[in-house]
Amino acid sequence: MKRFSQLAIPYIVWAVLMLVLPMALIAMYSFMEQGNSIISFSLTLEHYVKFFTDPDFLIILWRSIVIAIKTTIICLLIGYPIAYVIARSSERMQNILVLCITLPTWINALVRTYAWIGLLSEGGLIQQILKIFGLGGVELLYTEAAVLLGMVYNFLPFMILQINTSLCKMDHSLLEAGADLGASPVQAFMRITLPLSLPGVINGITLVFLPAISSFFIPKLLGGGQYFLIGNLIENQFITVGEWNFGSAISMIMAIIMMLMMMAVRKVEKRNQGGKEE
Amino acid sequence: MKKVNRSFSKILMALVIIFFYLPIIYMIVFSFNEGKSLTHFTGFSLRWYEHMLESRDMMEALYTTFGVALIATAVSTVVGTIAAIGLSKSKKIVRDIMDQVNNFPLMNPEIVTAIGFMLLFITFQIEKGYATMLLAHIAFCIPYVMLSVMPKIRSLDPNLADAAMDLGCTPWQALTKVIVPQITPGIFSGALIAFTMSIDDFIISYFVTGSGVKNLSIMVYTMSKRVNPSINAISTLVVVIITIALLIINIAPAIFAKREEKEEIKKHRVLIPSIAGALVLILVIGLMNFSGGDSSLPYAGETLYVYNWGEYTGENLIKDFEAETGATVVMENFDSNEQMYIKVANGEAYDVLVPSDYMIQRLMDEGYLQKLNQSKLTCMENLVDAVKGLPYDSKNEYSVPYFWGTVGIVYDKTKVDVADLEKEGFNIFLDEKYKGDIYLYDSERDSFMMALKALGYSMNTTDESEIQKAYDWLVQCVETMEPEIVTDEIIDNMTQGRKALGLIYSGDATYVMSENENMGFYLPEGGTNQWSDAMVIPKNAKNPDLAHEFINFVSSYEGAYDNSSYVGYTSPNQEVMDELSGVGGDFEGLESYVPRTDNEKDEVFVYNEATRKMISNLWSKVKIAASNAR
Repeated sequence: MKRFSQLAIPYIVWAVLMLVLPMALIAMYSFMEQGNSIISFSLTLEHYVKFFTDPDFLIILWRSIVIAIKTTIICLLIGYPIAYVIARSSERMQNILVLCITLPTWINALVRTYAWIGLLSEGGLIQQILKIFGLGGVELLYTEAAVLLGMVYNFLPFMILQINTSLCKMDHSLLEAGADLGASPVQAFMRITLPLSLPGVINGITLVFLPAISSFFIPKLLGGGQYFLIGNLIENQFITVGEWNFGSAISMIMAIIMMLMMMAVRKVEKRNQGGKEE
Repeated sequence: MKKVNRSFSKILMALVIIFFYLPIIYMIVFSFNEGKSLTHFTGFSLRWYEHMLESRDMMEALYTTFGVALIATAVSTVVGTIAAIGLSKSKKIVRDIMDQVNNFPLMNPEIVTAIGFMLLFITFQIEKGYATMLLAHIAFCIPYVMLSVMPKIRSLDPNLADAAMDLGCTPWQALTKVIVPQITPGIFSGALIAFTMSIDDFIISYFVTGSGVKNLSIMVYTMSKRVNPSINAISTLVVVIITIALLIINIAPAIFAKREEKEEIKKHRVLIPSIAGALVLILVIGLMNFSGGDSSLPYAGETLYVYNWGEYTGENLIKDFEAETGATVVMENFDSNEQMYIKVANGEAYDVLVPSDYMIQRLMDEGYLQKLNQSKLTCMENLVDAVKGLPYDSKNEYSVPYFWGTVGIVYDKTKVDVADLEKEGFNIFLDEKYKGDIYLYDSERDSFMMALKALGYSMNTTDESEIQKAYDWLVQCVETMEPEIVTDEIIDNMTQGRKALGLIYSGDATYVMSENENMGFYLPEGGTNQWSDAMVIPKNAKNPDLAHEFINFVSSYEGAYDNSSYVGYTSPNQEVMDELSGVGGDFEGLESYVPRTDNEKDEVFVYNEATRKMISNLWSKVKIAASNAR
């Protein structure tokens, strides 16, 4: 059995080189004073202090977390039933539906977002449809709703895919057994299906929440430049302002927040799995 | 009860499918648009498909995108699965640490991962190109695969492999015959996600690539100046290719399935995507046309690396230059001066750059540019006097202008009273008469220029109190006027007349006005920014001789005409400018095409590191104020 654990060694080496090392470089930057020179570096906490003492930055951090949570919840509410429907269909149909859902993601996200701009803009298709229902003149583009829509559109497939993966290999005889023992469909779902699909749900949340919190082109295009989130701030620090040290510090802060959140989520998972783990 | 459920789930499914495909259908429809707009359909045409097929860049990008995505997906799926299986049997502490490490690329904003990779490749002095892009893609794809595979492995009975080996399996057999089949759905969805991530990635690819290698995403993003429907055309082509590949996948197993066991189909799931992938590659290569060089020409076999704005070059310019010199031109694009600066300052070698005025000064000051060899330049006398000897390079020792213009106000003549513009200048952006009807441009330099000029200061002021007042002016604007802060969407939006006023570059105004006759362009009497983008040769250029040839060619009548008539920005070549703006010219009667040169209050940007940082940070604050005001 131990033999298999050796399979991980090459990857660990690779991960240290390709994932840990770049991250370490960024972490180093975040503690360095101005400038990018490694030779003349002196340590400082000023970038962290700068972030935490400015209410504006804290506001946008908060706003980014809130919109990412909203996105995640919407994706979960739509994604779960869809994944469930897919998992209950025939195997052939499952394959087709999964591909149907993934196919749009193979078209460049920016191209798809531009299409949404067209659909949502003044006089665009959606406004004209709303007009039929007597809702003409509703401003759609450059609103929070548009940003949410863009995020859900971009990240929903990941949620569906992950939940579906964990549902489709579920043993259906468990449900039958449950029903035989007198469980109502609701009970069966809550006691059997939901706990078994939890790993997929957690993965789905990871794949939606993490990119949503730091996305920057969706808010920029669908929310307008006035829709400024933490991802935009970081991008701005790296590219426009050129303050990599401050940018690195913000992303370190983000990384720690996300790490804590993911640990909390994993806790829930572990508790639900009970003693199964080892 | 069951029936209700079933039809409910069908409706739900249908709604979601519509939601996913609505933008795709929209995109396909607009790929046949006659006009340039992405939001206004004017008529059916195949011109964007022609444009796409003629563009060598686009076809190469398509090839790179699929090549990288397929290889990265294949490698990361195999490596990720093996690593996940290995980790599941490792000590808990190792597993927990690796869980966190794997989260890095998911957790970090892409720009951070991108800069991390770039620094890594620079530190190890690995030359950037296809290989580095592929390495980076594999690196960020593996965690997605592992994320999908891990839960499946965890739900396996840990004794399964032991049991298999007790029954006489070798470890390899236990792995391939027992474990892998059990976790196939996880591997499958991991591979799908990896493919999606790779195919869609822009920022990481952008910073780890070099030598002109680019994927479709890089192409789309750097096109931001002028996104045009050819991007929709190529995306439609992608849809067609994928659909054909999928049809093959779905028909092929249907034929096999009749004869074979159900288990066998599972194998096809893994095997068939790779066959399909190969097919896609063949299709793409088939679409590319390779051009051979003529060895009798002076620069045959040599390569010129140009780094320019996206969609900023005439349609035939590169082709003509290659035909004349025999050289091959490799063009990379950027969509902001700062983006370009990062790559240049980190040692990427190009032969010609096309930065803006203030950035040229910065590159000069920091020692990244070489002096032009005046004896090799034959083009200076062709140029308009007003664009020569500008403050950033007063003797044109380093730079030759590429395009130039001003920044002004584009306005809807049917909604805006010209008298208001004349009276208020840039202060019209504070006039509540136009509340909710204005666009600001999302650029700190242009916005602060507007505010400083509105207040009667110099736009190059270093006086902090003046900058502070300009900041207050902008905050007042975003708090009271409900502006939309946009970038190049303003071009399309004003062409469709969606708002009354906006801040715009003269070259973009030329396009807007040529498409919509209700639009006008106004330059405030209080002065504005006169800008220019110019060609420079970096110190680390590999082929400065050819670079001089290129500069001469671009500034010649043919090159300049092609550039200006295609892009719509003002040419610095006197003859071309006169012809295009004169009787019968493409831009006849459009006041924005010929920049104003007789107002003493007009200024050229001067680079100042301290004020630049201050203004950048204040502009972030303005945008935060704008989102707070909503």
